[in-house]
Amino acid sequence: MKIQILRNILEENDKLAEEIRNFTNSSKTLVLNIMSSPGSGKTRLLENIIPILKKQDIRVGVIEGDITTTNDADRISPLEVPIVQINTDNFGGDCHLGSEVIKPALDKLNIEKLDLVIIENVGNLVCPAEFDTGADINIVVISTTEGDDKPVKYPLMFRQCQMAIINKIDLLEYLDCDINLLKTNIKKINPTIDLSITSAKNGDGIQELVGKIIKKIKR
Amino acid sequence: MHEMSIAQNIITILKDEKSKNEFKKPVKSITLITGRMNAVIPDSLKFCFDIIKKDIDFLQNSILEIKEEVIKIRCNSCNSEKEIEEPIFLCDNCNSSDIEILSGTDMYIESIDIED
Repeated sequence: MKIQILRNILEENDKLAEEIRNFTNSSKTLVLNIMSSPGSGKTRLLENIIPILKKQDIRVGVIEGDITTTNDADRISPLEVPIVQINTDNFGGDCHLGSEVIKPALDKLNIEKLDLVIIENVGNLVCPAEFDTGADINIVVISTTEGDDKPVKYPLMFRQCQMAIINKIDLLEYLDCDINLLKTNIKKINPTIDLSITSAKNGDGIQELVGKIIKKIKR
Repeated sequence: MHEMSIAQNIITILKDEKSKNEFKKPVKSITLITGRMNAVIPDSLKFCFDIIKKDIDFLQNSILEIKEEVIKIRCNSCNSEKEIEEPIFLCDNCNSSDIEILSGTDMYIESIDIED
């Protein structure tokens, strides 16, 4: 006997993600979800942009996602912003952050007192793209060391993001990465994506990136 | 490895359907539709499902059948529609970037087959 079901596999995750957006909209808190491969410079970017945001009196909170260790949270803690660390090894070593772990993290952050929450997702170009975290803006970071073909290899990630950051631009002269091809490949997947070019090491492009984030702040 | 999360979600939905539909007999097969955009590896998902189904009586002998859904797009400028093999979201007819994805991003349980 056949029974028709027609139910979305991620229905629970998507429903809670929508609740998170309602919750953060009512407190006028902007939530960014930053995703990338491991080692593309997400934490370094945060170390650069958070002090500038703080100087502009923007109240920032951070959710750090890793399978294990508190290394990234330890790097962010000198910046004196509220941080919640999520270690997914308690959840079966998940390769991504789902809305079910973001919601309690947001509750801990006390978001009524925050203008901006930045989620640093688990380093991975595949799985995090699949799971809506409830963020307002998804951002993918791709570094020049990863090669210019990655957008076409991981299309869902580049399609799901509204912003892309090409990082480690300072290393370009040592690499075979063709920056124009990388940009073209990103635009092939997502022609309307907002592209930024940065070096989190020497600070190139960081001010422009912060400017774009500030424009999105809800209050 | 998002396949384990997906396998767990399939089981959650099936348990819910069992209590709603009140079927008593075991499930023979589950038909799952996954869009090509989702990067689900069928063998990996089946492997994960087969591990966790062992703990659930009415699913122990069930088979997960995975049907892949092709990626179809429509250009909102010239209204042309086509199926794409490569993830290029530009209209090859009018070069517009105003592209809507019609299919290929879904992931849902279509149906289940229960022992008579």
